[in-house]
Amino acid sequence: MIVLPLRVRPSGKESLLFANDAGQFFQGDRAFLRRYAFDELTAEDISFLSERGQAFDDIDSLGFASHLHGCARRITSPTTLDYLILVPTLRCNLACSYCQVSRASLESRGYDWSDETLAAVLTLIDRLDAGAVKLEFQGGEPTLRPDLIASVIERCERFADKSFVICTNLSCLDEDVMRIFDRPDVLISTSLDGSEFTHQQNRTATAEKTRTFFANLEFVLDRYGPDKVSALPTLDPLNPPQVETLVEAFASRRLPSIYLRPINYQGFARKRHPDSRAQDDRWREYYESFVQAIIARNWSDPSIVLEETYLSLCLRRIFQPGHDRHVDLRNPNPVGRDYIVIDHDGVVYPTDEARMLARSGVVDLAIGHVASGWDTEQRAVLDCASTNQFDPDCQRCTYQPFCGRDLVDDLARYGRIDVPRRETEFCRRHLHVFDFAFRLIYSDDPATRYSLARWLDLGGDLPDLAVSR
Amino acid sequence: MIPLTLQARSDAPAPFVTRLSCSQAGGVDVSRLQAEANDTLLFAGDQGLIEIVGQPSAALDGDVVLVDPGAESAHRLLRAGSRHNTLMVTERCDQLCIMCSQPPKKTHQDRFAYFERACLLAAHGETIGLSGGEPTLYKERLLAFLEYVIERRPDLSFHVLTNGQHFEEAEIDRLADRRFRNVVWGIPLYAAEPSLHDQIVAKSGAFLRLERSLRHLIMAGARVELRTVVLQPNWTALDALACHVTTYLRFVEQWSIMQLENIGFARGRWSALYVDPSAEFGPLAQAIDRALLFGVRPALFNFPRCSVPQPYRKFAIASISDWKQKFAPDCCSCAERSDCSGFFEWHPQELLEKVVPI
Ligand code: SF4
Ligand code: SF4
Repeated sequence: MIVLPLRVRPSGKESLLFANDAGQFFQGDRAFLRRYAFDELTAEDISFLSERGQAFDDIDSLGFASHLHGCARRITSPTTLDYLILVPTLRCNLACSYCQVSRASLESRGYDWSDETLAAVLTLIDRLDAGAVKLEFQGGEPTLRPDLIASVIERCERFADKSFVICTNLSCLDEDVMRIFDRPDVLISTSLDGSEFTHQQNRTATAEKTRTFFANLEFVLDRYGPDKVSALPTLDPLNPPQVETLVEAFASRRLPSIYLRPINYQGFARKRHPDSRAQDDRWREYYESFVQAIIARNWSDPSIVLEETYLSLCLRRIFQPGHDRHVDLRNPNPVGRDYIVIDHDGVVYPTDEARMLARSGVVDLAIGHVASGWDTEQRAVLDCASTNQFDPDCQRCTYQPFCGRDLVDDLARYGRIDVPRRETEFCRRHLHVFDFAFRLIYSDDPATRYSLARWLDLGGDLPDLAVSR
Repeated sequence: MIPLTLQARSDAPAPFVTRLSCSQAGGVDVSRLQAEANDTLLFAGDQGLIEIVGQPSAALDGDVVLVDPGAESAHRLLRAGSRHNTLMVTERCDQLCIMCSQPPKKTHQDRFAYFERACLLAAHGETIGLSGGEPTLYKERLLAFLEYVIERRPDLSFHVLTNGQHFEEAEIDRLADRRFRNVVWGIPLYAAEPSLHDQIVAKSGAFLRLERSLRHLIMAGARVELRTVVLQPNWTALDALACHVTTYLRFVEQWSIMQLENIGFARGRWSALYVDPSAEFGPLAQAIDRALLFGVRPALFNFPRCSVPQPYRKFAIASISDWKQKFAPDCCSCAERSDCSGFFEWHPQELLEKVVPI
């Protein structure tokens, strides 16, 4: 009999979480752990383990083949480039306190794609050999250059399956912009920090600009419905808005997905918020109380199901291998393969954060240029470090099959990538979110189970999960 | 019902495969329409003359047929525009499932040579079904056939229905070949409890043999669609089966859960086998949710949409082949008719009267 190696982590007061390398897990108690550790498993334990794919007769069995397959599926294997993040201009008409790229002012020159850069982007699009493509326009404020957006979109006609995301501050909805928004394959992504007061304080600065933003948000929601529009709050972890206010800012607009992200540690943010390095327990408490608030709200008002986007992603990764298109959380997280960022000057970065780091002068992580390519030495160097697979902490961590690797985040915070994993903010954040997720998964509170089932797209109730006694 | 076999005469000395064409466009193995009069069509090609009775030419244009002069028939092997073309490899089988819709026969006629010709004439990008009986009883011929055709027509895909009793360790490398990326093996599994599965397929040891085959298929990186017909004997064991599938068989591309077809053995055993999902859907709902939770894609075959509760309706696909599909009179007012499987031609008439359109 082969019993798979299990990783163990305390979960709740009395229980332990056991998981194998393929991420198949169950809950057990200390007595079980003792029997497992001292090779004293009972016949009952063995049959429990084999029913869960954790023990097999031999290595030629279906169970072992299935386990190997499961391990392989936990490894991201990007195929072809099909996701471009494009920055047609770095100029912006706002100056948000935490602007992540230190945008250029509206009047400045030399911060838009040149004709050559546009031509190189279009050539790149012609060469993509993916069936489905996603293009995201970032800035600056991309709607300052609707002409560039339109040329790119036009060039994508040949793809049967395509989607475009315009990340915009919604300050301008002129005719050219509306013509783009009206396309059924275009999605609008904007920022919404909560109440009008908070939003103005963080972003729009004047009452007039604030009014314009909220009016425009209502307008696009009215015109297109909430399926086409998404909004992201950016929060100051030291002074987050009241949970209820934030929840209602989304719920009242029928916007179901809220991605609770603390201020990103780049650009202006780095200068103005020196304390943001220590995202302490207060933020995590806030995060949990936020999730508990939406669980309670979903239970009392089933007409809308609110979710915290990152938690939903983590839950899906726990249960289902293969959710590897979210480039913030996957392993390995290869550099410059299935997606790239093309900056206003045609420089290619592996991620949007990498672009911001270069812009704020922290470290230059450019991997190439859209005209000359990015199969470069720089990419190869970064790629070597893009996995958590052989990290001594991660290798022992119960959550490794679900977790990921973000070397740009490490570089941003510590200027190096060899900080012991457990001491990184990335790790602390993920240990917390997975601990929290498993507390929810094994909760018997009906409201929690109801929300979990909705977040995971089930038709009915959450099925019972394995518990060993 | 759309007829699959036509009355036909030919002057050819032996059976042959050809594509019927109403236009004058060129191509090998094409028989062009020469005349159409009084219910009779006359086609001519390199292999001889064909006279077909009882169909308008428009209905047959583009069909790939096997003309059998001796039997005075033409089998429509690949009907133009149909998504449900299936080639019957053999009528033999080594299982005897209690609800078999096509009870096996002892005789076998090897038609692979005709199938090869037909597939080379298939429309671009077509998916062709292979079924039986049990196709892998002639596994060597079958694999060689698939390799031969896909080598020449990499645009084609195949779906092979097999009981999975015959895959061997020694075949792993062969099945791992790139050509088999175009092949999906549709394999039935009825229960997680070996004795219950064995009882349903009427073969002892079938479950364990199937597990071995599935293991080889995993190691080969093969594409598998799992199939489960819901029956009274496995109805309450569905969640246990879902646990098994989500633990051991997560590699499958799809888990198709299928409603019983009132033909073959099932016709005589209908009242002992049939489960009415509109009366009770609970066990099936649980199984679907477990599959969804663990990332196994479920699909419901042959379930009229109105028999499925709303949250699960999107999984009910229009699975019944066009030539044996029918609808109830009330269906004409239904909002979901175009996405609905409808019923098998031979579904009990009294059950049709119970539909409640959506
Ligand atoms: S980063 Fe931390 S939470 Fe993630 S796998 Fe590594 S040790 Fe575990
Ligand atoms: S009423 Fe007819 S068309 Fe509508 S769901 Fe039922 S069977 Fe299908």
